Amino acid sequence: MTNKTKHIVITFVMVAFFLVLSVFAWVKPADEFSTSERRKLSQFPELSFKTIVSGDFMSNFENYTLDQFPLRDKFRTLKALVALNVFNQSANNDIYVVDGFASKIEYPLNEESVERAGERFRYVYEKYLKDKNTNNYLSIIPDKNYFLAEENGYLSVDYEKMLSLLKENSEFLTYIDITKDLELSDFYKTDTHWREEKIVDVAEKIGNEMGADVKAEYQEKTLENDFYGVYYGQSALPLPAEKIKYLTNDVLESCKVFDYQNNKEISVYDMEKAEGKDPYEMFLGGPLSLVTIENQNAKTDKALIIFRDSFGSSIAPLLVEGYKKITLVDIRYMHPNLLENYIEFNSQDVLFLYSTSVLNNSETIK
Amino acid sequence: MLFSSIPFLYYFLPSVLILYFIVPKKLKNTVLMLSSLVFYGWGEPKYVVLMIASIVIGYFSGILIEAFSQKKLSKIFLGVSVAINLGFLAYFKYADFFIENFNAVTGLSISLLRIALPIGISFYTFQILSYTIDVYRKDVPAQKNIINLAAYITMFPQLIAGPIVRYSDIAKQLEGRTHSFENFSKGMRRFVLGLGKKILIANSLGELCDVFKASDDKSVLFYWLYAVAFGLHVYFDFSGYSDMAIGLGRIFGFHFSENFNYPYISKSATEFWRRWHMSLGTWFRDYVYIPLGGNRVSKLRWFFNIFVVWFLTGFWHGAAWNFIIWGLFFAVLLIAEKVFLLKYLNKSKVLSRIYTLVAVGISFVIFNATDMKEAASYIGGMFGAGDAPLASTEFFYYLKSFAVTLVIGIIGATPIVKKVVEKVFENTKASKFIWISEPVGLIVLLAVMTAYLVDGSFNPFLYFRF
Repeated sequence: MTNKTKHIVITFVMVAFFLVLSVFAWVKPADEFSTSERRKLSQFPELSFKTIVSGDFMSNFENYTLDQFPLRDKFRTLKALVALNVFNQSANNDIYVVDGFASKIEYPLNEESVERAGERFRYVYEKYLKDKNTNNYLSIIPDKNYFLAEENGYLSVDYEKMLSLLKENSEFLTYIDITKDLELSDFYKTDTHWREEKIVDVAEKIGNEMGADVKAEYQEKTLENDFYGVYYGQSALPLPAEKIKYLTNDVLESCKVFDYQNNKEISVYDMEKAEGKDPYEMFLGGPLSLVTIENQNAKTDKALIIFRDSFGSSIAPLLVEGYKKITLVDIRYMHPNLLENYIEFNSQDVLFLYSTSVLNNSETIK
Repeated sequence: MLFSSIPFLYYFLPSVLILYFIVPKKLKNTVLMLSSLVFYGWGEPKYVVLMIASIVIGYFSGILIEAFSQKKLSKIFLGVSVAINLGFLAYFKYADFFIENFNAVTGLSISLLRIALPIGISFYTFQILSYTIDVYRKDVPAQKNIINLAAYITMFPQLIAGPIVRYSDIAKQLEGRTHSFENFSKGMRRFVLGLGKKILIANSLGELCDVFKASDDKSVLFYWLYAVAFGLHVYFDFSGYSDMAIGLGRIFGFHFSENFNYPYISKSATEFWRRWHMSLGTWFRDYVYIPLGGNRVSKLRWFFNIFVVWFLTGFWHGAAWNFIIWGLFFAVLLIAEKVFLLKYLNKSKVLSRIYTLVAVGISFVIFNATDMKEAASYIGGMFGAGDAPLASTEFFYYLKSFAVTLVIGIIGATPIVKKVVEKVFENTKASKFIWISEPVGLIVLLAVMTAYLVDGSFNPFLYFRF
């Protein structure tokens, strides 16, 4: 074949590639939501003289074309595979996978953030807990990097330093160490969270340390739908689906759960959310600012208040056996000053239960 | 608009190509000019007016300079044209630099203007200057058709980051050029390869540089890793852009001059600048250095000429002292080489290359510093000043993570790949394989780069700020 034929072939192949993808991009209806990334997708921006002159149309159009590009998820996967397998990069979008467990690099240790978290805990203590006869505890949930990073050559925060910083800034709390009770398999492979069915021992440890008998028999149930955790979408890697399991018993099923944020009664396990965009939100309704669980069959009058992040949603049901009432407070979503309208602090157990990733990014804590 | 963006690749470029190739020959420059204004206005809508003003001034200056070529008025028109264009550049690019330094010297506190830099102003200003000067010198006739001149000045393939295309080089092509499958396929291949250099190598190494700058765990080896990564980043970023510009130009029937010729294999700083950003180097040579007398003057005057050119070269790159120091750093090297160093460098290819790489590496550390304090700190760090350890955890982690990209970058910065391909083509059987695999390879490369664009967010072009 001649060079001329070659040039004609290349021309047609390239034109065809550009045309097919361009036409596809132009005519493809816009998607509203990305299930894999759990976020709304940009829509075609407002086109007006004002938006053009300001440049808003152009920047929004770029976002729109990125979000709505044909076969977007497939292209993202292709990029992830090339970055990891061809360029041998350690992580894609800061997410790495070891033995099927995906984890996001949390690095470096943000000392200011950890100190800030301690200051916010102190604020709550000074305002509500000091001289109120409450028993105050702190427990930290390590992320998957704690088990994976160092031995596999990934960067991770200095956990000892983080703990020591936090202890220094929250000396009014009694520390409960759960790191030795956790292992990698206690976490979802594609998600940041721990698995409820694997942390019964952790709940018992915390209960024991707080002087509450939380031991109970549970029935393990499995959701039918597949679960793809938050790292599945962020990494864009073809990771296998998982199943969410949850533990229940008569006590839990008879509990009264109230969501103060939306002023309505909810259940310990929200089956509607189990089929939603983030099935992990099935645990106590997901990210809610203030939730109470009342144990109708309690053998004690003890009450527990948990200042928590999303990890608290799946462990709180496992503490119900030892308490008459558990209150879960998320001060990322409500300012602590509002708590006096809802809670009378007096003689309760108070647990500050936070994951290392929230502590290292504590600007969200109010 | 960035070449390496989805709007450009899948919205703008296909639309322009369709329009360009379906309109009759006489309208092609009009399509090129209008699409270029859209391309420019996409990022800087308000500065389209400035660009149109520059074109109109350039057009009438050319006409008037030619019309009065036998009289003194010609020089006046040239002077006015140069003053206006340099005035625009001074106002939009350098005003705050001058005010800052004036304030520093006098102790006054004149408010800064804080004007956004019109993208590509340094490039298109130099193109207009070269046009009017060439007309004045009678090297080229003035362009009578304003559309043709506007198409030259605004031509989107090279509008915002070069190469600096001289009017004299493409004057004939503006009037009439050929379009062919060969031009299209070669242009597209060059464009895709340039896009690959930008997206797969430059962007990745740019991330490494950003990681280094943000790191609190710097070490001597990490400083060196940064110097290597930035040297490769700036090369692949800028030469990738030039490849894309040359490729796009070829698709539209233009033949732009090369802008890079494997600068990192140079054996001296002098040679480096014959291979790096060649269009800028030749511009300063032809419009500043030679008019100043070049090297056909006394030694002292010659050194002065070199200092002027390199001061301006540095200043052209940015309104900050680190760019000026960067330019003067090369002035010192070039003078040293001319006076005594070259004869020693010529004795060893290996040592001369090491010398050049280290010198250029240090120069780019200055170039990329936010200020001279940072530059001094980084250069000091490279040579063990301060309390940085030899190596750190982050150094090993990022070295491992970017090792493949760095190796590809280092090999790609040499002519090794080109020579291997040429050898392969000498072998009939292998060349047949290349023949078949080339279109497939280009499509795969384009698909991968599209994937990077769809997923990625790190995508700035370094030379857009100049």
